[in-house]
Amino acid sequence: MSRPKKIVLIGHFGVGKTSLIRRFVENTFTKDYKVTIGVHISKKEIHIKGDTPLTLVIWDLEGLDDITKMRTSYLLGTNGFIYVFDLSRPVTYENLEAELEYLKTNYPNTPTKVVGNKMDLVNKAFIEENNGIFTPFVDYYVSAKLGSRVETLFTKLAEALI
Amino acid sequence: MTQDEKLKLIKDILLTDDRVFVSHIEQKIAKLEETINQKKALSVKVDPIINDKLDDFIKDIPATLGPTITETLKKEIKNSQDAVVEALFPIIGKMIKRYIQHEMKLLSERINHQLNNTFSFSWFFRKAKSKATGLSESDLILQEQSNTKIEQLIIIEKGSGVVLAEYSKTKMADEDMVAGMLTAIKSFVEDAFIKEDQNLQYIEYDLYHIHLQNFSSYYIAVVVSGAYNIIYKDKLENSILSFSTKHKIADVLNNKTALTLKLKDFFKNE
Repeated sequence: MSRPKKIVLIGHFGVGKTSLIRRFVENTFTKDYKVTIGVHISKKEIHIKGDTPLTLVIWDLEGLDDITKMRTSYLLGTNGFIYVFDLSRPVTYENLEAELEYLKTNYPNTPTKVVGNKMDLVNKAFIEENNGIFTPFVDYYVSAKLGSRVETLFTKLAEALI
Repeated sequence: MTQDEKLKLIKDILLTDDRVFVSHIEQKIAKLEETINQKKALSVKVDPIINDKLDDFIKDIPATLGPTITETLKKEIKNSQDAVVEALFPIIGKMIKRYIQHEMKLLSERINHQLNNTFSFSWFFRKAKSKATGLSESDLILQEQSNTKIEQLIIIEKGSGVVLAEYSKTKMADEDMVAGMLTAIKSFVEDAFIKEDQNLQYIEYDLYHIHLQNFSSYYIAVVVSGAYNIIYKDKLENSILSFSTKHKIADVLNNKTALTLKLKDFFKNE
């Protein structure tokens, strides 16, 4: 019997949380932007080598400019976080350190993956230029549009939950 | 000049114009005859070819024009959804109305039949039940008539919304998604009403009633179809409480298989 795990995606408005989930669950991408209101729930079963299958119940929370204002009741019982920011919009990562610190303080034992999304809109030189901002915190640079490293992101988080 | 020659001369003088006119008419009739005969001759040869072509064309319509027509119709319907709804609404509305009228008539007949059975055992029983519960006799009859049924039961971990166990006679919905959304709705409502220790207890969805019964670390969502009134709610609450205590649910919360078996065993006849 598959074991359920609650995964919550957080981040600012329009960073591509919903697109990342759609890419992972349905392997689709659309340019149409529809703002998430409240919360949207999806699920996908994944198989980690040599272990019981996991059912990832993925909570897609509406974007907020300040994650400390999130409805904490939505975060109860979270098994893993994915913090998403938009590589092409500095406003979505200018408080990265403080926001990650907030998560670490309030949910100290919950595995968290930090991802810079929309890799297709920037180049390697840009990442190197901003090395100081990203490298200490970022786990993956991904693109929901191209599907690059999205599967890896969720699989690695699932592995951390076993 | 003889008499005949004179007559001929007079005829020539008098009838010259008429002869020209007659000659014209003759030519026109000849042309007309020629056209008609030619067309008839032509049509004898050409008509079978045209007919064959037409037959082939009609036969090929589904293959050649079918997809285009279907696509065009789909597009038209998609682009004019409001117009389609507008056009169908009165027809569907009438059908639904007729169906409801028919069902109401049947229900009314059944209720009348029961009311007419005065002084029967069930009549006395109903009277006593009505007084004891405070529900009207008609409500009690309505409940007897409706087929209240448990469709799905889900034991859900509070906060996370993770499914701890699920049992359904007919698969209603994906339990993980339902559990997640119910938990999100519960969290939102319970946050919005600032008073502490209050819980969302009931959600109505289309023809279904979702009864929510809260415990300390989990809650049980029961999807019910049919009449859900205070008597049924009371009965259901008692069933869930006795299930929870009899099977010591708190002790097996981490064992999904065992919990699912217990749930199925307890509620299979409900």
